[in-house]
Amino acid sequence: MARDNTGQEYTRPVRRILIGMLVLVLLSLFLIWRIDNPRVERLRVALVDRVVPNMEWAMRPVTRATGMIEQFQSYTRVYEQNRELRRELQQMKAWREAALQLEQANARLLDLNQVRLDPRLTHVTGVVLADSGSPFRQSVLINVGARDGIVDGWATMDGLGLVGRISGVGRSTSRVILLTDANSRVPVTVQPSGQRAILSGDNTPLPPLDFIEKSDLVRPGDRIVTSGDGGLFPAGLLVGQVVQGPDRRLRATLSADYQRLEFLRVLRSHEAERIDDTGALIPPPDLPDPDLADPAADLDIAAPDTAEPRAEAADG
Amino acid sequence: MADALKGTVWGWRALFAAVVVGLIYLRLLPLGHQAGAWPAPDFVLCLTCALVLRRPEFVPALLIAAMVLIEDLLLMRPPGLWAALMLMGTEFLRRRAQFSREIAFVTEWIMVAVVMCAMLLGYRLALALVMLPQVAFGHALAQIAGSIAAYPLVVGVLRLGLGLRKPATGELDAMGRRL
Repeated sequence: MARDNTGQEYTRPVRRILIGMLVLVLLSLFLIWRIDNPRVERLRVALVDRVVPNMEWAMRPVTRATGMIEQFQSYTRVYEQNRELRRELQQMKAWREAALQLEQANARLLDLNQVRLDPRLTHVTGVVLADSGSPFRQSVLINVGARDGIVDGWATMDGLGLVGRISGVGRSTSRVILLTDANSRVPVTVQPSGQRAILSGDNTPLPPLDFIEKSDLVRPGDRIVTSGDGGLFPAGLLVGQVVQGPDRRLRATLSADYQRLEFLRVLRSHEAERIDDTGALIPPPDLPDPDLADPAADLDIAAPDTAEPRAEAADG
Repeated sequence: MADALKGTVWGWRALFAAVVVGLIYLRLLPLGHQAGAWPAPDFVLCLTCALVLRRPEFVPALLIAAMVLIEDLLLMRPPGLWAALMLMGTEFLRRRAQFSREIAFVTEWIMVAVVMCAMLLGYRLALALVMLPQVAFGHALAQIAGSIAAYPLVVGVLRLGLGLRKPATGELDAMGRRL
C-alpha cells in the first residue's frame, strides 16, 4: 500500500485511532440513550421539531401527488363504486334516522338522570406531517406541539376511533405512537360483556387483546372501547371490534382509518384527581387525638382568626 | 448539478449527503405504511458500500457517521448504534477498496453481502445485549436480503447514470495524483 502518497504511511495509524474514537463516541451515545433515555429522546425531538416542519413544503406535493395517483386508480372502477356507494347511502340514511331517534332518547334519559358530561374534554386537531419512516415502528408526526398545549400521553383519534397516544412533544410537532406499534399498550373494555383487556400492538394491522379475564365471554364482533384504567386515557373512546384470527387469538380491527391518517384529534384529557392517602381513621368526636386529626379541621376552627392577616397580605 | 460538480471531491461529497437526505425524506413521507408490511431495502447502506469500494475519498468516515446518525435520529432508531456499525462495516470495506479493483463484480457483491449480514447480526446482538425489543428476525432478514439484491442496481445507477466506476490501475485524478 505504501506505494506513492507520502503522507499515507504516517496518517494511517492516526486515522485508525480516530475512527476507533468515533465508533466509541457513537456507541457511547447509544449507551447513554439506553441508560438515560429521556434526555437523548429530548434531543431527538428537538431535531425532528427543527427539521421536519421545514421539509413540509417539499413533502406536501409528493404526498398529494401519490394520493392523486391512488385515487386515479380507483376511477377505473368508478361505476361499481358509485352503485355501491348509493346502496350504502340508502342504508346510512336508515341508520341516521335511528341514530337521531336514539340521540333524542339518550338526551332525555341523561336529562332525567341529571348526568353531567365532562365539559373539559376538548380537542386540538393536527395535520400528519411525517411517518416514522421505518416499517418496524408505527408512529406519525403531527404539526401541533407544546406551543398548542399538547402534553405527553394524551389520546389521539381520527374522526371515528382511537389512533394512539402522544409520545414525545416538540415545540411545534409531536409524535403519536399508533396502536399497532410494538410498544403500544392500552387498557380497554370489551363492550357488552365488560371484560377488561390490554390492547398490545405487535406491528401487525390487527393488534391482539391480552390479559382478558374470561375470554369465553368475548365474542368476535364485540365493540372495544378504552377503559380509562390507570388514568391513561379517558374512558369510552371507540377503539374497534373484536375479531378472531386463524390462530384463535382475539384481535382488534381498529375503527380508525390507518390507511389514510391525515387529520388527527388530540384529546385534551385532564389529569384525573388522585387519591393519595389511604384514608385516616375517623376518631369519635369526644376523643380528640392530635396525631390522627385532620389538619384541615384545625384550620376550619381557627378560620376566623387567620382570615384577617391573610386579607392584609393580599392587599400588600 | 451532477455535471458541474463532477470531478471535484467536495461535489461528490455534497451529492452523497444530498442523496442520503433525499432518501430519508422519501421514507418520512406520510404515505400510510401498513403495519407489518415488508420493509424496503436500505438504499443508504447500498450507496455507501458502493461508493466506499469505488472512490473511498468521496465518502469520508466522518460524513458517513454524521449522515447515518441523522438518519438514526429522524427514523426513531436507537441513536448511534447503526451509525457505529455502518462506520465499522465501511471501514472494513475501505481497507479492501484496493483489493476490490482486482476482483470481479460477483466477488465484490458477495463480500458486500457478507459485510451487510455481519452488520445485521452485530445490530441484533447489541440490541439483545442491552435488552431492547427487536424487530421480528424474518423482517430484518428480508430488509437485508432486499439491500443485497438492490446493491447491483445501485452500482448500475452509479455507473450508467453518473459514470462512476472503479479507477483503473495507474489512473490519475484531476490534480495528477495517482488514485
